[in-house]
Amino acid sequence: MSRPQRWKPLRLAAAALVTGALALAGCSQPATQPSSPAAGGGDGKDYSDTPLTLPREDMGTFTRNFNPFSPNAAPMTQQAIYEPLLIFSATSGQTTPWLATEWKVGTDGKSVEFTIRPGVKWSDGEPLTADDVVYTFELQKKLLGGYEYVDKVSAADGKVTFSFNKPYSPALFEIGQHIIIPKHIWSEIKDPAKATNEKPVGSGPYTEITRFAAQAFELGKNSNYWQPDKQKIAGIKMLAFSGNDGANLAAVNGDVDWTDQFMPNIEKTFVSKDPAHRHYWFPPTGSMINWQLNTTKAPFNDPVVRKALSMAVDRDQVTKIGMNGYTGPADCTGLSGSYEKWKDTALRDKCEWTKLNVEQANQMLDQAGYTKDADGKRKLKDGKPFEFKFSVGATSSDWLSVANVIAQNMDAIGVTVKVDSPDWAQVVAGYEQGDFDSGIVWSPNDPAPYKYFAAMMSTRTVKPVGKKATENYQRFGDPRADALLDKFSGTSDEAAQKDAINQLQQLFDENAPVIPLFPGPEWGAYNDLRFTGWPNEQNPYASLSARSVQTVLILTSLEPRKG
Amino acid sequence: MRFILRRIGFYLIAFWVSITLNFLLPRFMPGDPISRMLSRSQDKMTAEQVLQLQKLFGMDDRPLIQQYVSYIGDVLTGNMGVSISRFPTPVSEVIASQIGWTLLLGATSLIIAALIGNLLGILAAWRRGSLIDSALPPFLIFIGSFPYFWLAMGALYLFGIVLGWFPLRHAYDSELDAGLSWAFISSVAYHLFLPALTIVLVSIGGWMLGMRNTMIATNSEDYITMAEAKGLRSRRIMLRYAARNAMLPSVTSFGMGLGFVVGGALLTETVFAYPGVGYQLLTAVQGLDYPLMQGLFLIITGAVLLANLLVDIVYVRLDPRVRTH
Repeated sequence: MSRPQRWKPLRLAAAALVTGALALAGCSQPATQPSSPAAGGGDGKDYSDTPLTLPREDMGTFTRNFNPFSPNAAPMTQQAIYEPLLIFSATSGQTTPWLATEWKVGTDGKSVEFTIRPGVKWSDGEPLTADDVVYTFELQKKLLGGYEYVDKVSAADGKVTFSFNKPYSPALFEIGQHIIIPKHIWSEIKDPAKATNEKPVGSGPYTEITRFAAQAFELGKNSNYWQPDKQKIAGIKMLAFSGNDGANLAAVNGDVDWTDQFMPNIEKTFVSKDPAHRHYWFPPTGSMINWQLNTTKAPFNDPVVRKALSMAVDRDQVTKIGMNGYTGPADCTGLSGSYEKWKDTALRDKCEWTKLNVEQANQMLDQAGYTKDADGKRKLKDGKPFEFKFSVGATSSDWLSVANVIAQNMDAIGVTVKVDSPDWAQVVAGYEQGDFDSGIVWSPNDPAPYKYFAAMMSTRTVKPVGKKATENYQRFGDPRADALLDKFSGTSDEAAQKDAINQLQQLFDENAPVIPLFPGPEWGAYNDLRFTGWPNEQNPYASLSARSVQTVLILTSLEPRKG
Repeated sequence: MRFILRRIGFYLIAFWVSITLNFLLPRFMPGDPISRMLSRSQDKMTAEQVLQLQKLFGMDDRPLIQQYVSYIGDVLTGNMGVSISRFPTPVSEVIASQIGWTLLLGATSLIIAALIGNLLGILAAWRRGSLIDSALPPFLIFIGSFPYFWLAMGALYLFGIVLGWFPLRHAYDSELDAGLSWAFISSVAYHLFLPALTIVLVSIGGWMLGMRNTMIATNSEDYITMAEAKGLRSRRIMLRYAARNAMLPSVTSFGMGLGFVVGGALLTETVFAYPGVGYQLLTAVQGLDYPLMQGLFLIITGAVLLANLLVDIVYVRLDPRVRTH
């Protein structure tokens, strides 16, 4: 597709040679401030019939697969076609009722009851009922499993009740944010796991596939949508790209309205071409990115060592160089910005081991018996040199530079860190089997930090070395954490939950199971030349991710400019 | 005929060896498809989802030998299974949707590069010391030794962005429906031009130099002197006597090139966001998508062997020496 060129070609100089040039330029840029959305007017054209255009950088071509149970469903399947019962937005901290109008958590924490929104229709005109919700979870359990705590799902009078076999308060969001499918369609499909669902019937705002080709497809309006006043954009158009460069080029060139892939030095490459219309916002609501040490190996089994290493990490430098200044340093609660309301502020204000303090780190290691030799290199207690590997996948250029910064930082305390960057699969295989030294990992990011702390400190998530783990790669477990997690999941009383989470944060602070580095930013940039109503720092109703549960909030808020 | 039969026998064995390697190599790579998916999706996937996917994909954990037997059966019956990285789309469908673009891009650029490169090589050898002989080969080799990624990016930047002559992405205008209409075909040609041009540019030098060098050797043969002594026209000697004998190595390279076309042009696809199997192969390898990898390797192996067989057959026609054995 070729739109008229709006910008003097020379000004796009940086655009084409994205990789090298921008990586260099990124280093010289100070921490960038999110640009404030100035009230730039449109260009006088009417965009009522123009589809909202987005790139998808990780799919060289699209496959016509709108099966919401498939991990490779076409983009927007879970966002524009199917909808959940409720939507939680970490940026606003708000929960928006969606297909459910209200919900009640049982006093014993062993059930949740959702009231299904009356009058909602599927895109084929059939009404959406409580039976559809029951069927969705039946099929989910049959195809994919999960939800082991759910005993029984029953529907009556437009209400769906989920009963559990144990008190489990995180269930509300887990169940509530699951998308709902129509029973009358899916019960007719013979092998739902392998269906490609080429003509999806959903309850979302944009369900009609108006055009489909491997390189681009378009979604049109659902004529039976339950919020017709919110379907202001004509449709959604997705473009396929085999890599960030092509997708970034499309954004720089003004061919797409919204983009959520990583863009180096965004201020210069993207915003500066049209500061009145182009904006970005990277709230720190992604998952916490940790430097994990294999706690089954000495000396990482010693919390003093973990804390000393953490104190030698210059997090300002890490985020500035490694992450283009797109995020800030982590603190000793271990919680990312998405858990802002759970944070123990008293603890956060007196964090010690997550602040740069080389002197104290050296002292701690000296006292713990890791002495320095004549060259200033530390020795382990068995006399071997204190050196270990930092494993990170070769394709993650941002995390690779994070690793290199940390390796340099460690020189100051006489510890040698060797950055090892094979293919991600090999790195993850090392994490899973437990034979790695240290590495960089993401962590769970749900509405409540239950799973996060379970993956950090619960003995139940610890797998023995040699047995495949899919979380808690650092293999740290503390029975006190288990008790606190049970306390949290066993109550729906907010004060009691908050208390449990506070104690978990203190336990995290005490043990340093991992070394928190920075909260992952949620990428997102937009161009409001054609559409307005975007979320941003002033109006944080959702993050700018185009592949999360909250995406539908943006789709139903955008409006085309009409000249 | 015996020559051909013997070759076919050889190709059958080569085919068996290569499909066996196709089976074994991916399985020696560390990790499994689901942990690869996990490492790519990073924080977007939870531990429970990993278990769910294991259930969904029905991972094959039979002993290798049993897997191998059913794999051979599948290859012979053409059943390539369901792709993991594009689950639940069948491998045949995944490949079929892209192979056309790969063939179009690869064959067009290969034919153009081989045709022009060989003609230039013939001319250069025939007119030793002329401008075309002294200036063109170093220049083309110079162009050809640029890192391809850089050259393609540069071409896209200059012709796509600065001058705006060519589209920045994709194989045709996404406003159009695929079909046999003039608008569609011209859009395809328009989108094809720049990607094909960059491939031609980097490969043409090799063709020219190869042809020029063999042609120079041929030119000093006695039969050329003889032809000149007979007073044949220069063009006739150049094309029918010298070039015909000098082109045998080029035919081999062309055949090989034709076989490798089906492997796709990964960098071209990435820079120009052009559809094709190259990127699919990359994602299949990265995602340890055994079925898709096996399907693609099978097609590549088949194509390379077939192209070689064709070259052998053409050789029988072109080179009498082969026939006498």
